[in-house]
Amino acid sequence: MTHPLLSVQNIHKAFGSLEVLKGISLDADPGDVIAILGSSGSGKSTFLRCINLLEKPTEGSITLANEELHCARGHDGQLHPKDKDQLKRFRTKMGMVFQSFNLWPHMSVLENVIEGPIQVENVAKKEAIERAEHYLEEVGVFERKDYMPSQLSGGQQQRVAIARALAMEPDLILFDEPTSALDPELVGEVLKVMQQLAEEHRTMLVVTHEMGFAREVSSRVVFLEKGTVEADGTPNEVFDQPEQYSTRWAEFISRARD
Amino acid sequence: MDISLIVDNWQLFAEGLWNTVWLVSLSLLIGGLLALPLALAQAYQIPVWGRLSFWFSYSFRGTPLLVQLYLIYYGLGQFEFIRESFLWIFLREAYICALIAFSLNSAAYACEIIRGAICQVPQNLIETAHAIGMSDFQIMRRIVVPIAYRRSIFAYSNEVIFMLHGSVLASTITIIDLLGAGRKLNAKYYVTFEGFLTAALLYMAIVSLISLAFRMIEKKYSIER
Repeated sequence: MTHPLLSVQNIHKAFGSLEVLKGISLDADPGDVIAILGSSGSGKSTFLRCINLLEKPTEGSITLANEELHCARGHDGQLHPKDKDQLKRFRTKMGMVFQSFNLWPHMSVLENVIEGPIQVENVAKKEAIERAEHYLEEVGVFERKDYMPSQLSGGQQQRVAIARALAMEPDLILFDEPTSALDPELVGEVLKVMQQLAEEHRTMLVVTHEMGFAREVSSRVVFLEKGTVEADGTPNEVFDQPEQYSTRWAEFISRARD
Repeated sequence: MDISLIVDNWQLFAEGLWNTVWLVSLSLLIGGLLALPLALAQAYQIPVWGRLSFWFSYSFRGTPLLVQLYLIYYGLGQFEFIRESFLWIFLREAYICALIAFSLNSAAYACEIIRGAICQVPQNLIETAHAIGMSDFQIMRRIVVPIAYRRSIFAYSNEVIFMLHGSVLASTITIIDLLGAGRKLNAKYYVTFEGFLTAALLYMAIVSLISLAFRMIEKKYSIER
């Protein structure tokens, strides 16, 4: 029996008395591109952030490459990592790309990309630079490598952020609304890079509002609403017969089409 | 107004200038070195050290520099055990007392500048470093402190200028700094204008150099452009 690359089971998350995730499970096999859709407040970003413990879930388990993340419940009722080294290992295997790019403003593009490999993985500087240049080339911002982040457009910054995640050579990449902060004319260049990564069979979990991406590029679509999974299937299945999944999903699609 | 008085006594002003420059530079250096650990202790709420740092900066920013200087120079000498300890070799020197007062005062102000900047480093930049697997210490060293420093440049340039102007207080405890030189000249020749005006112009010249230096530093390191 083969195991999924990532298995997230029964994730709950509550902020005080407000429960935003009510038991979400998701398995990802190598090469899966899973689009996570949902209206704002559906908990989709929170769910993604629980996977690498940027947000501490109140319940649930996370298993990566057949290794479960050891957690213990703290006084605050949240699950905290028991073993910092293990958490670090998990995080290096899961790249993350954020909505607001989050490039470190005091470092050049190249420095942003080599920082993780050098600091976290102890890669030699020379090798880190070669790696960084390779991925900057791949996302098409190689010629900007000596620029500071503030000198780049949003689309370029996000592509650098993707290169920064790739430079850690992760097993999967989490995208948290990667195009939501971009001007409309810059969305395409980022989506194109993501499509290219999908074609390379990289495993990706993508929280997004881009229905086109979900439909054309993803291999699976998960629809969250009020902290639960309302629809889960291949793009063809969920887009062609939305009514079979849930009325909320059908409404969501028809609203997106308007 | 007698220019020749000033020209003839250029050595007096050179001595004052030199004393002001090294006293302020060394105070800023020591203050700056103390400021970072103090600021980190407060920003990261390190047990005991954070509270100590808070009370340190609270008391040194809460009282006038002149009072601090007098307490160290005149006050400490009141205690017999201090006069009898080896410390007295240093504490009886006006220069050392001024250096201590200025350094601690500068440390308190610089600490607040850096602490404020540390607390304002955007959370999402720290979170990104967590997501990549960096440890808290690495994040502090590689992300938080460098960004905080860069954002402190402008506020710190003010502190440097205030420190320079505050250093005139050294002349009240027998030190011949720039103002002290001016006073000495005035007293010697029974004039009022010559000494003060020369000192004022020289202070202004130093401030110009400081501003110029900070403008260059800002141009090179500032992250907001």
